[in-house]
Amino acid sequence: MYLTLIPIIIFSKILTWFLKVTGEGSGTALPGRIIEKYFPRTLQKLVSQIPNIIIITGTNGKTTTQTLLNSIFKEADINIIINSAGANLSRGILSEILKQCSLTGKIDCTHAVFEIEEGTLPKIAKVLNPKIIAVTNLYRDQLDAYGEVDITQKYIRKGIEQCPNAKIILNYDDPRTSQLTKKLPNDTYYVSLPDQFSKELPYEGERTKQKSKVPNYIKAKNLKVTPNLTSEFEVLGKINNKQIKFDTQTLNAYGYFHVYNVLIAITVSKLLDIKNNIIKKGINKFNPAFGRGELITKKDKEKTVNFRMLLVKNPAGYSLNLDLIRSVKNLKLILLLNDNTADGKDISWIWDARFELLNKSDITWMILGGTRAKDLQVRLKYALNEYSEYFLDEDINKCIEKSFNNANNNDTIFVLPTYTAMLKFRKLLGKKLE
Amino acid sequence: MNLNLTIAHLYPKHLNLYGDIGNIICLERRCEWHGIDFQINNLGLEDKIEPSKTDIYFIGGGQDNDQILIVDDFHKTKYKTIQEDIENNTVLLGVCGGYQLIGHSFLMGDGKNTKGLGIIDIETKAPGKEVKNRCIGNLIAELDHDIYNEIKKIYTKDIKILHTLVGFENHWGQTYFTSDKVKPLANTIKGFGNNYSAKYEGARYRNVFGSYMHGSFLPKNPHFADYLIWLALVRKYNDRSIKLEPLDNKEEIQAHKYILDRYVK
Repeated sequence: MYLTLIPIIIFSKILTWFLKVTGEGSGTALPGRIIEKYFPRTLQKLVSQIPNIIIITGTNGKTTTQTLLNSIFKEADINIIINSAGANLSRGILSEILKQCSLTGKIDCTHAVFEIEEGTLPKIAKVLNPKIIAVTNLYRDQLDAYGEVDITQKYIRKGIEQCPNAKIILNYDDPRTSQLTKKLPNDTYYVSLPDQFSKELPYEGERTKQKSKVPNYIKAKNLKVTPNLTSEFEVLGKINNKQIKFDTQTLNAYGYFHVYNVLIAITVSKLLDIKNNIIKKGINKFNPAFGRGELITKKDKEKTVNFRMLLVKNPAGYSLNLDLIRSVKNLKLILLLNDNTADGKDISWIWDARFELLNKSDITWMILGGTRAKDLQVRLKYALNEYSEYFLDEDINKCIEKSFNNANNNDTIFVLPTYTAMLKFRKLLGKKLE
Repeated sequence: MNLNLTIAHLYPKHLNLYGDIGNIICLERRCEWHGIDFQINNLGLEDKIEPSKTDIYFIGGGQDNDQILIVDDFHKTKYKTIQEDIENNTVLLGVCGGYQLIGHSFLMGDGKNTKGLGIIDIETKAPGKEVKNRCIGNLIAELDHDIYNEIKKIYTKDIKILHTLVGFENHWGQTYFTSDKVKPLANTIKGFGNNYSAKYEGARYRNVFGSYMHGSFLPKNPHFADYLIWLALVRKYNDRSIKLEPLDNKEEIQAHKYILDRYVK
């Protein structure tokens, strides 16, 4: 392999080990950051060994789509490499590969599924040379990071332009996404939900109609949200002139909007010639990615309490999750708002999230936490007609204690945390990053 | 007599970044709590307006393309009316991109200067080479003393008025006053405000206010929100003796003080 890489790889592996042992971090980004800076061609050398690279980008749903593909590929006995959730900048990807390769830089995988942050795509697309790029959707996100969603859209388009041979999978219902390959040579594949669901999603811009004229297109049919908030649906459509049909399928993810992620995973799998029964098995075995509908349990001698984690990162995701849970009876809620870099330092986006949706909800109690809990409190005061004072503590540990004391045995509490609040919450309940 | 106010939200479809809608929600709810009837007119492209039908104008920030789009429309369909209203002391609030827009020129993301709405004498320019980064972060500023002293008198009771404004700024453009008719809204304590070196935040001309603060701006600065409502009532009913009953601002003040405690020792 690349003999020159050996010292670099050894260095990074020691560093990763050291970071883990000292508890300074999960070792996700630092090795990659150092090596990216001093040996910029390392990533290209390493990834060029992987023949099938799949990139997932877009505002919401990247991690869930990646987790679905991971589950399907496992069933198909395909050996894959993925970057862990959140490590979706180029240094995170490099760190991941450095962790998994042998000392001589050999990678044993035929496939890779990387989730890539939208702004990073044009910087890394050419180097990765992906076979497939999927774009989940484009919403407003962490505005202090990029400024404008128009710019993000341009970044993704630039990324795609660097990969004329890549097959592109797009969300047909989202006007910001569906046009991304306009006038580009790429083969494009679309996914879509029934209108009555897609029209509830806060997409921006004018929809294009005429679905029938698109050659490669799969959609969910007879979509239903089950009483436990997961989804049931059929899949129908065409990919490369072949009929695609999946009978009733259930998805263990919270919110019908995750069905887009399944459709993308199905399209990727079909493009890689994976058989339907294997895809189905993979989807059935899917468990939500950490923080994205994940269930965390806390027990003591007297009771067991379940926390359903619904990560919120932007107004669209926040509104959709509020919409999802608002009709739950005896709703018990923990809302956590942090303003660290990964959450977005500007928290004004909470005013674009539709907290008004909770107005008719049957709320038993609500707890507010995180560094900007007091801003959440103001938001709720202005949103709710029957606002009452809620328990508030910036310290997330105190919120967990309070909620555990409030809860009855076997209660399920919905937790809506921003990114770093979610990490903190999991850590406090003894969950480690995978 | 039931008091009522009409607010015109300028281009809500195009100018709606950074939770600007929070300012409208805040005015609406506070009017409701004060017992003032409140009506919102959303003014989009091509919508015409009549003079003296509006009590408060609000304009937020948008993406570059949208801002360009509305400038032309504004000059065609709205400029004359709004200019006339403003000279008659109608209240107008512009926030962030909306603040830049109400000046004579503003800055696009690509560094090009563009004609603004020309409502007040400010201009926004590209920063000089000494400026390396966007002006970005939590912003704290001390209210202009005259405004502060006036806010003290708008209530039926003596209450403690917040002397500071807090919010979050995120801008590349540097804003300057082009005539002395315009006065700063506040003195910067933490962050930048109008530009890198001025130490001022925001602007006032008659009852036109501009600020770089989103967060959203009004919900976290409740007395200033009431001040806008009061100014609008005084103008509309031509009665300076109007007073507002103080509201319970516990949550708003807690959120405001959180930022003060975090940054100001």
